[in-house]
Amino acid sequence: MLRDNRVVGAAMVVGGGIAGMQAALDLAASGIKVYLVESAPAIGGKMVQFDKTFPTNDCATCIISPKLVEVARNPNITLLAYSDVVGVKGEAGNFQARIRHKARYVDVDRCTGCGSCVEACVLRNRIPSEMNAGLGKRGAAYIPFPQAVPLAATIDPQRCLLLTAGRCNKACAKACTLNAIDFDQREWEEDISVGAIVVAPGFEPFDARLAEEYGFGRFPNVITSIQLERLLSASGPTKGKVVRQSDGQEPKRMAIIQCVGSRDRHHNYCSSVCCMFGTKGAMLAKEHIPGLECSIFMMDVRAHGKGYDAYYQRAKAQGVRYIRCRPSGLKEVPANNNLIVKYQAEDGTIREEEFDLVVLAIGMAPSWSARTLAGALNIGLNEHHFCATTKFAPLETTRPGIFAAGPFVEPMDIAESVTRGSAAAAKCLEIVGKARDTLVASRSYPIEFCQDGEVPRIGVFVCHCGTNIAGVVDVKRVAQYASTLPNVVYADTTLYACAQDTQEILKAAVQEYKLNRLVVSACTPRTHLPLFQETGKEVGLNPYLVEMANIRDQCSWVHSNDPEAATEKAKTLVRMAVARANHLHPLHTHIVPVTQNALVIGGGIAGMNAATALAAQGFGVYLVEQEDRLGGNFRQLHYTVEGYDPQVYLLDLIEQVQSNPRIQVLMGAKVLTTTGFVGNFRSTIQRNGKLEVLEHGATIVAVGGKEAHEDAYLLGQDPRVMTSLDFQVKVAADPESMAGVKNAVFIQCVNYRYCSRICCTTAIQNAMKIRELAPDANIYMLVKDVRTFGFREQYYTKAREAGIIFLRYEEREPQVEIEDGQLAVKAWDAILGEELRLPADLLVLAEAVRPLEGNAALAAALKVPLTEDGFFLEAHTKLRPVDFSAEGVFVCGLAHYPKFAEETIAQAYAAAARATIFLSKPYLEVGGIVSTVEGAKCTACLTCVRACPYQVPRINEGQVAEINPAACHGCGICVSACPAKAIHISHYDDDQLMAKSKVLIGEQA
Amino acid sequence: MIVAEQKPLAEIRQMIKGHRKVLLVGCGSCVTVCFAGGAKEVGILASSLRLAAQIDGDDLEVTEETVLRQCEPEFVETLRRKVEDADIVVSLACGVGPQTMVEAFPNARIVPGLNTKFFGRVLGPGVWTETCAGCGNCILHLTGGICPVARCSKSLLNGPCGGSVGGKCEVSPDIKCVWQEIYDHLAVQGKAENLAEIIEEKDWSTAGHGGPRTITRKDLQI
Repeated sequence: MLRDNRVVGAAMVVGGGIAGMQAALDLAASGIKVYLVESAPAIGGKMVQFDKTFPTNDCATCIISPKLVEVARNPNITLLAYSDVVGVKGEAGNFQARIRHKARYVDVDRCTGCGSCVEACVLRNRIPSEMNAGLGKRGAAYIPFPQAVPLAATIDPQRCLLLTAGRCNKACAKACTLNAIDFDQREWEEDISVGAIVVAPGFEPFDARLAEEYGFGRFPNVITSIQLERLLSASGPTKGKVVRQSDGQEPKRMAIIQCVGSRDRHHNYCSSVCCMFGTKGAMLAKEHIPGLECSIFMMDVRAHGKGYDAYYQRAKAQGVRYIRCRPSGLKEVPANNNLIVKYQAEDGTIREEEFDLVVLAIGMAPSWSARTLAGALNIGLNEHHFCATTKFAPLETTRPGIFAAGPFVEPMDIAESVTRGSAAAAKCLEIVGKARDTLVASRSYPIEFCQDGEVPRIGVFVCHCGTNIAGVVDVKRVAQYASTLPNVVYADTTLYACAQDTQEILKAAVQEYKLNRLVVSACTPRTHLPLFQETGKEVGLNPYLVEMANIRDQCSWVHSNDPEAATEKAKTLVRMAVARANHLHPLHTHIVPVTQNALVIGGGIAGMNAATALAAQGFGVYLVEQEDRLGGNFRQLHYTVEGYDPQVYLLDLIEQVQSNPRIQVLMGAKVLTTTGFVGNFRSTIQRNGKLEVLEHGATIVAVGGKEAHEDAYLLGQDPRVMTSLDFQVKVAADPESMAGVKNAVFIQCVNYRYCSRICCTTAIQNAMKIRELAPDANIYMLVKDVRTFGFREQYYTKAREAGIIFLRYEEREPQVEIEDGQLAVKAWDAILGEELRLPADLLVLAEAVRPLEGNAALAAALKVPLTEDGFFLEAHTKLRPVDFSAEGVFVCGLAHYPKFAEETIAQAYAAAARATIFLSKPYLEVGGIVSTVEGAKCTACLTCVRACPYQVPRINEGQVAEINPAACHGCGICVSACPAKAIHISHYDDDQLMAKSKVLIGEQA
Repeated sequence: MIVAEQKPLAEIRQMIKGHRKVLLVGCGSCVTVCFAGGAKEVGILASSLRLAAQIDGDDLEVTEETVLRQCEPEFVETLRRKVEDADIVVSLACGVGPQTMVEAFPNARIVPGLNTKFFGRVLGPGVWTETCAGCGNCILHLTGGICPVARCSKSLLNGPCGGSVGGKCEVSPDIKCVWQEIYDHLAVQGKAENLAEIIEEKDWSTAGHGGPRTITRKDLQI
């Protein structure tokens, strides 16, 4: 690969929310050194405040915490929390960024997050907590939330008595036994060199006080949707109880008002997520409070994402009431602090209803600090004060080498933010990929000394964790007890097992006492096991010979009121850990070579973008296209609502693909079968009647979708009736033909089964085209909900200004008739309360975007799943939006779900970034904790084949199950499912777990 | 395959009452696949028996074994010493297993741990359904490949009866009317008119009502 020595093999990611974390993790996994700069004391962004995520109601903390830990653990990511970027010099490939580290007054390297200072702070529980959106309280010394990364305290300089008024007894500093509190700290600046930059500073929730008509801040029982989220959360200020602020009582009637800070005169955009956010809040609140009545006041329900409409239907089925009106204000009933909503019902009557809790679904506003940041980075903003990007370059900011992700670009949901995070990483890799592996940590270790089968020599270290453990548990007694256990040759206590100097003590003990097993009795292996494994590796100890006993989280913290029993429990936990250590085996990984090229299936803009993104990094790409030309659906697009010319973009993209020597375009070809596993796939394709075998390390599915031509409203029977795409093709070919149009009608949601996301905007774009070509035409649009999310809202506004009339038909489907050769549409008008007869020279139908019929066969060949509707189903709706659970296979474009060009392009780049993680390494490490089948015991019952979430086991030619260690994730599900007990998992085998259980019972018995 | 399910723990405990050394013998074929008597189920039953005995203060020694197929005398023979050593043997196989054991070990006390249910197949994780009745005279070619003998509550040969409503059997709304399924299947193939033909009364003499059935293949006899 090219090595340009001026390109810096590092990238900077600004913003540690979900988009930024994803970009950082993808870059780091592809051999790039990452500086992750976060302005707040901890990373995680807005998502850490959420209770659940739509449309699956997954626990938000449960899915984001592992990401936080991953960032914290990653040796290639340097986390610069509580820091800002104040300037960037240089150019793409070689930037110098100036970072200002704010004074935290806590030494992050020393602080273990024990919380002693937080407890001691004299302002404890006196300051509104940002984490709880003002509903809970914190101190001046605080840790934002228990899972915070970095897990370190911060002293709030705006609030601390010492820092603001110079008078405090410094209780926090006295409480800290590590001397981590440092009031002499000052903010300081440093320069870092990076080759590319991802900017993902997120959004600011709209300040609800500005919507004065709703009385937020004046009426205690008016809260924001984020506050509702905190009330719903088990870790929130009320521990999951939804209560009124006025009297602490549970509400019986709750209202949610949508579009607060969106779709108004000051915000000519839709915040995209609030409809689903509100729907989720209503459903969860109903779960928390049986019998709760929930009403949602909305204009359109924007359920435009994958699975969103089904979620909305579920909410309605569960009794959530949707009222189509934006109330003009709220009145408070002084006696009980209830709120009266005055609204216009669908039939035009004015009604008043009383609610005891009102939730404002606040929109996404551009953040003020991001405007400062944009200045520092010298990148442009758009008219809404979000980041300026263009339709066909949705990741590029106005400054080359700086890429944007997340809701800084446009209001977007978590899945889209994660996609953009990966996509921006791919853009960076096009620049810094040349300098891959030049700055990342690579370490060499001494040869491992312990052979399997040697008599165990166990060393036990019992951690004080300051006073966290030792304050409750008698650690000396625990260590003494440990020394009496089988094969324990060394046992001692340590003040902080995780401290840097302790690692030297551990290493010395391993060498002096010839320890071949290490048991660290301290905190959680979730965060700390890798550290102790690393220490072991440095003196030749196999990492699988290190075991932990969690005597903090599972003992001292939960039994602080009973030190004696806690000490006994700690002894038991240590005894169990030692018992398992006696049964541990060293495990080894081996390497398998990776075929460093990719197969991209589908030559539309999704496939072509994925191909160019990978080729730009130097990887070979087979681009397989079923038709005999590139471009897919995009060939039929001739204008966009924003005024771009799609064909100019398309021709340029095709030229890039065809002229790139690393991309081999295979036209008229179809993938028949794929075998192998990540890094080593072999696919058979059929081309011109001949079979060819391609070897590739990763696969990207970009087969696209198609506009349906399903039977409806005389489509195919009358030339005046056409689909959106047909219309566009016709207009492009013969604009004159529109000049004579006097009456045009659009019908949306034809043959509706799920929301196709793009039809509303597309119809508006087509209607505006008619307006342009036939200025006097009457244009009617028959709609259910208008789902012009994000900045597309402004075109909906323009369309109404241009006299396009929107009629809502909901349940009453329009009828089409021909009388004396005149085509007409009969539609119900709710406001007039009567049926209208609309003559139509032109009837444009919004038919659905459907998946391809061939998807089922391709999905079977690739061993990946489809949704009920026939689209490809990603591994996780929110956090793995372009991955499949089968490793090394990715999806983008319409194959995943209907989407706009800019979303397709971003998703294609995201798929490329995810594929790069595997393609960027010449070898993959396999082995370690994996499952193996004992063939003689296997009855080929297929249980493992069916149970594995990653489609790894298969029944081989010998009629027994086989698990490929390179593909196995080591989750152990097959092991527990196997009825013949024919499957084992290394490191968690029966004897190891039974040994723990036995000593647990043995002591009690 | 043969689908079975484990007897309730209380019933098994009742059968082994008064015996100290219990041998559990699983089978590695059909009942492993249907999670009734494989090595794992044997292990779980053994643990349950031990726990129950511990709670009640009984003196109980449980040994676990699983053979590839309990219906084969050669496989069963490998257990001879353990069977002789035990006070009672609980067989976790279909009904064939314990009888093979009794044949092999006439002096041993052998009891069944499973209830053998039917010939069937898996519908999804944890769900099995009866699909074949072993009637000895297959007519699937007449019924679109869907068996009314096993799957119609009345084993009707010319259904449906008047109790078929909305595709469900009158016996229970959980049971699909198999004649509806037969009709739908043939209709898709464009062969629904086949059903106009009356299926003649079936020869049930092969169905086992005249005593145990035996197949003798002279060509295979040694």
